[in-house]
Amino acid sequence: MASVIEDKMNLDREPEVDSLPQREKSTTIISPNQHALIRLPSEGLKIIDLKPGGIISLGKFGTFAVDGILGYPFGQTFEILEELKVKPIKSMTMQADETSVDNENEELTKDDLTKMLSNSSDNNQNIINIGSKIQKLTSEDVDKLKESGATSDIGQRIIEQMIAGHEGFDKKTLFSQQKYLKRKQQKFLRRFTVEYLGSSQLLQYYIEKDTQRVLDMSEETLGLLLNYANVRPGGKYLLIDETGGIILYAMMERMNGQGTIVSAHDNEHPNHIALRYSDYPEEMQNRMVKSINWLQFLEPENEKVEFETATEEEIEEMKHAKRAQYYRREQRAKNINSVIDMVMEGNFDGFISVSTLNMPTLLPEIIPTIGGSRPVVIYSQFKEALLETQHHMSTDKRVLAPSIMETRVRPHQTIPGRMHPVMCMRGFGGYILWGTRVFPRESGITAVGKGSGKSKKEKPEQIPEAVSQQASV
Amino acid sequence: MSFFEYKDIIEEGDLVLAFLGRSNIKPITVTKGSQLNTRYGNFEHDRMIGMKYGEQMPGAKGVGFIHLLYPTPELWTVSLPHRTQIVYTPDSSYIIQRLNVTSGTRVIEAGTGSGSFSHSFARTIGVEGRLFTYEFHEPRYIEAKKELEDHGLLANTVITHRDVCNDGFEISNIPEDFKKDDGICGDVVFLDLPSPWTAIPNLKSVISHQSRVGICCFSPCIEQVEKTVKALETEGWSNIEMVEVAGKRWEARKDMVKDVKDVVKRLKDIQSRKNQGIEHRKQSKIHNVGDKRDIKEVETADDSSPEPTKFQNLGKGFNPFGKGLRVREGDEQFQWRNVTKIESEIKSHTSYLTFAYMNPNVRLNTSVE
Repeated sequence: MASVIEDKMNLDREPEVDSLPQREKSTTIISPNQHALIRLPSEGLKIIDLKPGGIISLGKFGTFAVDGILGYPFGQTFEILEELKVKPIKSMTMQADETSVDNENEELTKDDLTKMLSNSSDNNQNIINIGSKIQKLTSEDVDKLKESGATSDIGQRIIEQMIAGHEGFDKKTLFSQQKYLKRKQQKFLRRFTVEYLGSSQLLQYYIEKDTQRVLDMSEETLGLLLNYANVRPGGKYLLIDETGGIILYAMMERMNGQGTIVSAHDNEHPNHIALRYSDYPEEMQNRMVKSINWLQFLEPENEKVEFETATEEEIEEMKHAKRAQYYRREQRAKNINSVIDMVMEGNFDGFISVSTLNMPTLLPEIIPTIGGSRPVVIYSQFKEALLETQHHMSTDKRVLAPSIMETRVRPHQTIPGRMHPVMCMRGFGGYILWGTRVFPRESGITAVGKGSGKSKKEKPEQIPEAVSQQASV
Repeated sequence: MSFFEYKDIIEEGDLVLAFLGRSNIKPITVTKGSQLNTRYGNFEHDRMIGMKYGEQMPGAKGVGFIHLLYPTPELWTVSLPHRTQIVYTPDSSYIIQRLNVTSGTRVIEAGTGSGSFSHSFARTIGVEGRLFTYEFHEPRYIEAKKELEDHGLLANTVITHRDVCNDGFEISNIPEDFKKDDGICGDVVFLDLPSPWTAIPNLKSVISHQSRVGICCFSPCIEQVEKTVKALETEGWSNIEMVEVAGKRWEARKDMVKDVKDVVKRLKDIQSRKNQGIEHRKQSKIHNVGDKRDIKEVETADDSSPEPTKFQNLGKGFNPFGKGLRVREGDEQFQWRNVTKIESEIKSHTSYLTFAYMNPNVRLNTSVE
């Protein structure tokens, strides 16, 4: 896939577009021919391609036609009806009585639901654990019910009958009954939410699918990384992205088509596989993302491509295939040489690394290319790797005040009267080393607090950080 | 100077962040004839003009130094004059990420407070985005307005002096190029107010009805969250979830590697010196009877003082861990391992973040069917 992007880049002989670059995809309305994220009642995630006329299967949650969801805003939740049809509902967790936006097809009214949950206990004193025997509805019964129709009403009916068949249901507390209901809804309701595939959604998708792919990075860490790196439209950034393009996508989202990202990579060709979900026009990808491998980066003079330009007549004389090949080679040379020039010119607006490379040996090659007072932001799933890097920076002195930052979001059960942190959360999320590129003086600097006994007497413990900073230079 | 792009050379009138230490950054506007006086020396503004951003600047007469930094919202958050409790970067960056604030987003913020988050929003939404920020405290509003103006942020930001809880969010004087659908039409709402539940019902007329709108309410108390959640539910917001963000900073430190073999070696050393001392004393006692001691012996005897603590402090004998000496962390004479240590004080609670979404729940574009 990665090489496909490069090949496309090479074939692209269109002149640069002058008009103001725009995201051509919609970020607000579910629109044809772009990707979207589907959230399932089970909290599972799926990326779909919104091909007009297409049919999407969500496994046990049902099947629907793409055309039925087009035109609604992103964030809309749907319920699957019969014959691939859907209806919009307010939200995934709403009770059946509140689901319908247009108030039709209501089979289970609020009264029914209240009746269903009306017999409950004040506490769990009378609950005796007899395992699955407490449920009179067998799995065969459930399968039979499932076969009887494909609509969400079936799900609702199954839940009703499960409650009816649950001998201990009235002995549960109301809270416990609601939790039971929610669990069954997650299992049987045929609902789904369609979300815009932003960088958070793409990251969540990969976290669920393959957390090693994103090197354990959490959403909060991605946010912190992008803010510390001061990513904004028009910037020129140097990036190492070993997540297959998820960081690259997040940066492109924030830059909205303006600016450049030089992406340095280990292999001969870059791996930006995640960009296939980005729906960015090829022209924009080619303009914004400039790839360079480490050989080209570290030995720019040797790696520049020499290309002999043919004359007009020579090109005219070429056979079709040969001419195409000529153009491809010309474009390739241009691309490689221009990115090598950018690196040699340096003065990047920031360095962002999400990689497994050893920074202490790489940084001496990187730092000179970063502009003054620009951020240096390095991600690692291991604090220890950043620790080595921070020590290296402290000695090197060209990155000011390096700090290892950790951020963790703790979700809560958000029900009035019953607020509490949820019991489990993801343990990992990675760490960020953040500093600022500076130009230290070689000589002529005497730190206050070093040698001059005067300042030592003046409460140096007041700002120990600053003193050590001063003393260390 | 601009929060929308970098530049390399300091000019007169620029906002420069003078970095004295991690938690000691002084914002200065470079003015001819002025001087920055600190504990770390004195720094004439005239000398800053023409210097590079990021340069280390020596103080007058070469005493002390500072680093001259280009302002970013994240550095500004560390250096800004506090008027209220501020939203720190771990919180603000998460809110921006989770609500998908990007270039072009239309944001509603109340209240402005110290303007820390306003800077971060304004940077991320860029010149194509719009920030509508509200502050009900007049002196704070005046200060924030001046600051936003000085920082060039009025290019995408409108600040209004308003109590949004009582008087709502609608404003009459929206500049033409700030309007969308003839109004504010916000995509994202951030409420940092004492009683957000009173402002929530006022949002209807100022948020987008063409797309999903995200909200984050920032409240320190759980009681506030309760009321906020109820108000959000009543007003039709869904996917309500409250979270907390915990940000921590770790310091890279060095910890001395102390091998028990060295401990044993040192104990043996002490013992042998002790014995040596006893021997010496015995010897000298024998010799002392009537005799005068050899001058060489006197010196050796002094060297091996029998008090173990004494020669430790003097750095004599085998002292592998520098006991009794002032050892600089990382001193090359000793062996170290790299370790991390958490900052001495962490923010254990900033605020609760309550997120929710408002969906229009209608098909907006039927032509695609």
